[in-house]
Amino acid sequence: MNVADMVDVEARRKAASILRNTMMRVLEDVLRGRPPKLVIPKRTLSNTIFDPEKGILVLGDEVFERNMLDMGETRRFMQTLLMASIIYQALVENEYPTIRDLYYRGKHTIIYRDLSGGLREENTWDEQAESDSAIRDIEVMSGLLREQMLILSKEKGKVVGNMRIRSGPDVIDLSKLGHGAYAIESTPDLIEFLDVDAEFVLVVEKDAVFQQLHRIGFWRQYKSILVTGAGQPDRATRRFVRRLNEELGLPVYVLTDSDPYGWNIYSVFKVGSITLSYESERLATPKAKFLGVSMTDIFGDVGKKPYLTEAERKNFIIKAKERDIKRAKELMNYTWFQTPRWRKELNMFLEKKVKLEIEALAGKGLKFLAFQYIPEKIQTGDWID
Amino acid sequence: MSKSELERFREMSVAEFFAKYREVAGFSNPVRALYQTVRELVENSLDATDGHGIAPEVRIYIERIDSDRGWCRVTVEDNGIGVPPTVMPEAFGKVLFSSKYVLRQTRGMYGLGVKAAVLYGQVTTGNPVEVQSTTRGSSYIYAKKLYIDMKRNEPVILEEAQFKKNVSWHGTRVSLIIECDWQRAKSRILEYIRRTAIIAPYADILIQTPDGEVLYFPRTTKKMPKPPKTAKPHPHGVDVETLKTMLKATKAKTLLEFLEVEFQSVGRQSALEFLKSIGLRPTMKPKQLLRGENGALVVAMVEAMRSFKFRAPRSDCLSPLGEELIKVGLKRMFNPEWVDAVTRPPRAYQGHPFIVEVGMAYGGSIQPSEEPLLLRYANKIPLLYEEREDVSYKVLSDVNWKQYDVEMPAPLVVLVHVVSTKVPYKGVGKESISDVPELEAEIRNGVLELARRLKRFISAKEREAEVMRKILVLSKYIPEIARSLKVLSKDPGSWKPLEPGEERDIVDALVSLVARNIELPRRGDDSGRSVEDLIRSIISEVRVS
Repeated sequence: MNVADMVDVEARRKAASILRNTMMRVLEDVLRGRPPKLVIPKRTLSNTIFDPEKGILVLGDEVFERNMLDMGETRRFMQTLLMASIIYQALVENEYPTIRDLYYRGKHTIIYRDLSGGLREENTWDEQAESDSAIRDIEVMSGLLREQMLILSKEKGKVVGNMRIRSGPDVIDLSKLGHGAYAIESTPDLIEFLDVDAEFVLVVEKDAVFQQLHRIGFWRQYKSILVTGAGQPDRATRRFVRRLNEELGLPVYVLTDSDPYGWNIYSVFKVGSITLSYESERLATPKAKFLGVSMTDIFGDVGKKPYLTEAERKNFIIKAKERDIKRAKELMNYTWFQTPRWRKELNMFLEKKVKLEIEALAGKGLKFLAFQYIPEKIQTGDWID
Repeated sequence: MSKSELERFREMSVAEFFAKYREVAGFSNPVRALYQTVRELVENSLDATDGHGIAPEVRIYIERIDSDRGWCRVTVEDNGIGVPPTVMPEAFGKVLFSSKYVLRQTRGMYGLGVKAAVLYGQVTTGNPVEVQSTTRGSSYIYAKKLYIDMKRNEPVILEEAQFKKNVSWHGTRVSLIIECDWQRAKSRILEYIRRTAIIAPYADILIQTPDGEVLYFPRTTKKMPKPPKTAKPHPHGVDVETLKTMLKATKAKTLLEFLEVEFQSVGRQSALEFLKSIGLRPTMKPKQLLRGENGALVVAMVEAMRSFKFRAPRSDCLSPLGEELIKVGLKRMFNPEWVDAVTRPPRAYQGHPFIVEVGMAYGGSIQPSEEPLLLRYANKIPLLYEEREDVSYKVLSDVNWKQYDVEMPAPLVVLVHVVSTKVPYKGVGKESISDVPELEAEIRNGVLELARRLKRFISAKEREAEVMRKILVLSKYIPEIARSLKVLSKDPGSWKPLEPGEERDIVDALVSLVARNIELPRRGDDSGRSVEDLIRSIISEVRVS
C-alpha cells in the first residue's frame, strides 16, 4: 500500500468511526427501550449566523429532534438511518459512491398491507432531493462533510499553476497540462500539496476567462495559481481554495462579473453559502479578497481613475434587470456586505442600475485584462476585503 | 273521514260502499290491490299471533292461476289463535261498522281490511274466500267457502266442512282469488315483507312468489313484545260519535258512574269536578244526554272533556317492540357495523297515548346514500308509500348530519316506530303520519339521541383508526430501520455486528418500543388485541424489494 492509499484509508477509517458513533446512539436508545431520536442542527435561514470573529457563516445552536415515534417524522427517520447505513457500508467497503449512486442504492420498495388489507407500495425515497436531504442531515449531525465521507459529486472546478500535487498514487504537475487544466476532484482533502512556487491564487468566476488567462500565460508571468469554479463553485473547488489559503498561506483574489450574482459568488467563496452554512467551517475562505470587477473600476472614484473611457462604458455596460436590483438589495441586508466599501459598491450599483461582465474587459483587450488590470489592482491593493 | 260522511256510510250498502270507496281501503288498481291483500292477510296473521303471545309463523303463497285474466291466488297461513267456527262467517263475510269502543293497539284498522279484500276478489273474479281455521283447544279444523251478499251485507256460506284435527296446528289459512298485477306489485310486496321481518324478528316468515322464488326470513330471536292490553278511552280522546256509542251501550246508571267506569284516568273526584264544571247532575241518566237536539249535549260534553284537566292517558295498553328487538331486526337485515335503538317514554296527544321508538344502523352492508334510508312503522306495520309526507321524513330532513360526524352519502338506516291506540295518519290511505307536535318532538328526541350515540361511535372509531394508522406508519419502517441499524452496528474492521446487534434483536426491541408508546382506545367488544400483535402482523407482511 502506497502513501496515497494510506491517506484514503485513514480518511475512511476516521469518517466511518465518526458516522458509526453518531448512529450507535440511536441503536443504544432502541436497545434500552428509549424512544430513539436524531438530534439534527437546523439548516434554516434563521439558524444561519455570520460569525464576525471567523468571518464566515456558521450554523447556530438551534437543533430539532427527529423522533422515530413521531408519525410525521418516522419516514425521514428511516431515510436518515438508511442513508447512514449505505454511506457507512461504502466507506468500509472502499467504494466511492456519488450522491446519485446513494440515491439508487437506498431506493427500495416497501410492500405492506394497509388497514383495509390491500397491498401498498412505498419507496424508501422517490426523488433524489429526498436522499440528498438525508445526506445533508447526516453531514450536520456527524460534522462530516460528504467529501470526508468520500462521496463523489460531479467535478466542476479547474486549476492550473506552478505547483505539484499528489492525487491517489500519482504526482501531477499543474504547470504541465498544456491548454487543459486539472479538474478539482470530489475529495480535495485527499490531495497532498507537494511543492508550490506561487505568490497568490486568482479565482475567476467564469470558465471562459479562466481559459483565456491560462492560454495567455498569466499564471506563469505572475507566479500564481489560477482557479475557476465555472459559475457557482462546487464544494470541492471551495475546499481546494480554502486549503491553498490556509495550508500554503497564499492570498486569494476573486474576480467576478460586476453584478450582484458575481458578488454573491465571491461571498460564497469567502463566508460560505447561506443555505449550506454548515459547510463553511471547512469550505469558506474568510481571507479571500474581492479583486473586481467593482463599480468604481467602471465609474471611478474620488482619487481613482476609471478603467473604462466614456465611450467604452457606453459599449460594454448592460442595463441591470429587475432581479439584479432585488438581489443587490438582499446583499445589502447581509452583515458582511455592510462594510463602507461594499456599501459604496452596492449604492453605486443601485444608483446607476448597470452591470458589467468580465468578458467586456477582455473585449477591451485580453492583454489589458491580464497584464494591466489584474496586476495593477493587486499591486495597488485596489481590492475589497 | 268527516263525521257527516260516517253518518252516510252507515246508510250505504256494502256494494255501494265498495264501489265508491275502493281506493279508501287501498284497492284502487290491480297493483295496489295485490299489495293491500297481502298486507291485510299478513297483518291479521301477526295480530292473531304476537298479539296473543304466540311466536308467529306466517306463510304467504302467491300463485298465478290465470295469466290471461291476471288472476292470482293469495294464500296466507298462520299459527295464530284461530277463528272459532261460529264467528268465522262474520269475521270474513260481514263488514262491521260499529267496532267495540275499547281501544287496543292492533295492526288492523276498521275491522274492514280483510273483508275489503274478500269483496275485491268477489268483484274482480267472482270467487269466494276459502278459510280454514282451528283454535288452540279445538280438536277440529273448520273449513268454509263464503262470499258476501253485498246488498244485505251478510255472509253467504257456499261450502263448509270440519275435519278431525290430527296435527298440533292451530291458526288460520285464508285463500283469495283476485285480479292482480304481480310484476308491478312485486318490489313493493317483497319490500313490505322485508320490512315486516325487520320489525318482527321473532316471526318466521316465508313467501313464495308466482315466479317460483322463495324468500325466507327465519326467526332470529325468541324474545317477543308484550301483547297489548285493552284500554278504556281517555276523555281527551273521544269524539262525538264514540261518545254516542258509549252512551248507548253503557250499563251505568248515572253520569258519574258512566265517567268513572267507562273512561280511563277518571276518578270519582275528577268526575264530580268535571260534571260540576259543565253544570250536569252526577245522578243524571247517561242516555238522557242523547235526547238533546242534534246531539247538542253530546257535542258540548265532548268539547268540555277535551279542555278539562284529567290525568294523562295510561300507556300500558301500548306494545312497543323494545330496543332489543329493534336492534335484532336491523342487525339481521343490514349486518351493520353499529346499531342502536331507543324506546322513548310514553306521551299523549289529544288524549291518545303513544310511544315513539327509533332505531339506527350504520356501516356494514348498508349501501351509502345521500339521505338516510328511512324505515317507518306504525303499530308494527311498515309504511311504504308517501314517505315525503311523513313526520319522520320531516324530522330527518332537519337533521344536520355533519354535526354528528356523518358525511353524506353515508351507510345509514333510521327506523321510526310509532305505537298508539290512535296513530295520527295523514290521509285515509294510512301511509304517512301527520306532524302532530307532541309526536314530532318525540321522534326528534329519539333521532337526535341516537345521532349523538352514533357520533360517539364514529369518533371512537376515528380515534381508533388514527391509532391504527400510527401503528401502521411506525411498523412498516421497522424492518428497514432495523436493517440499517444492524449495518451501522458492524465493526468497521471485522464487519461483524455488535452484540446484541442481530437484526431480530433490533426488530424485537423496536416492536416493544413502539408498542409501549401506543395505546389502543378501549372498545367494549375486543379482548386480547395487543398493539404488539398488531405490529408483528404488519411486519410479517412487509416485503422490501
